[in-house]
Amino acid sequence: MMEPRLGTPLSSEDFEQGKVFTESYAPKAEYAWDTGPSIGRYLAELKEGRLVGRTCRACKRTFIPPRSFCELCFRPADDWVVFPGTGKVNTFSLCYITWDMRKLKDPQIPAVIEIDGASEGHGILHLLGNVDPKQVKVGMRVRAVWKPAPERAGAITDILHWEPMP
Amino acid sequence: MRVSSGQPWTAWRGNIPVTSLYTAGLAGQDFLEALKSRGEITGSKCAKCRQVYVPASIFCERCFGELKERVRVGPEGEVVTFTVCHLDLDGRELARPQVAAAVRLDGATSVLVHRGLGDVAKWKIGARARVRLAAKRRGSILDIEGFELA
Repeated sequence: MMEPRLGTPLSSEDFEQGKVFTESYAPKAEYAWDTGPSIGRYLAELKEGRLVGRTCRACKRTFIPPRSFCELCFRPADDWVVFPGTGKVNTFSLCYITWDMRKLKDPQIPAVIEIDGASEGHGILHLLGNVDPKQVKVGMRVRAVWKPAPERAGAITDILHWEPMP
Repeated sequence: MRVSSGQPWTAWRGNIPVTSLYTAGLAGQDFLEALKSRGEITGSKCAKCRQVYVPASIFCERCFGELKERVRVGPEGEVVTFTVCHLDLDGRELARPQVAAAVRLDGATSVLVHRGLGDVAKWKIGARARVRLAAKRRGSILDIEGFELA
């Protein structure tokens, strides 16, 4: 009977010293994601330095990011709302490692920020800045710090970060 | 651009950074090592099924048996089939048509697909062809430049 094969382990050295032949490939994986009308306007408003959402008159909710339909009532969304650009920290994390696993001396602080003017518990994931990591608390009041207008591109990163309210 | 609803069409554009490093595997390593160091083409023999697979493989496609016996094949063989390509992978017209040929090398039962070199008009099914090695070899299928008509 044949011995069961358990694979052939390879070490980093096997690659670095060219002990195994390899082919590398980098596909050109470009995409264009259709934003739809609601996210399209959300991004356009970010470029203008405004944070907007939509309402559902049936369940009386105001949500952000804006959506074209209410996922609870399953009916088209109603009005557009401009928010003041303030909120409070719902939850946060101190990250000492980047998404691609590089170490950070000063942590990145991703946080879910409940947006003032939106319904209770509604918010967006963003970054906190201008803050001592030790001072960050759930419930902390924060405000959006925008990029200068000429640098804004119609992206969520048009907000640099959120900083504590004075 | 507008869609049927009359809303302006907006898109979020991005680029997914994907890179891969493909290892040749046990039989692929044998195949590429022989190609790089000696300029030889290596197949795997299944005595039971009377098959010689090229490039070398670790198992038989017919009986799933393990293949340990490596045999040298070619460098000449017979053109089993070929196609003349006028477009590249992205659908753009090639400056010159390119032959892609499937050649059963002498001693092999399977075909090896590679570029067909030389005059496109001279390629014929049943013709004799020969492996042309690249000037510089690094352990890649491109150590074979292609097949030329014998």
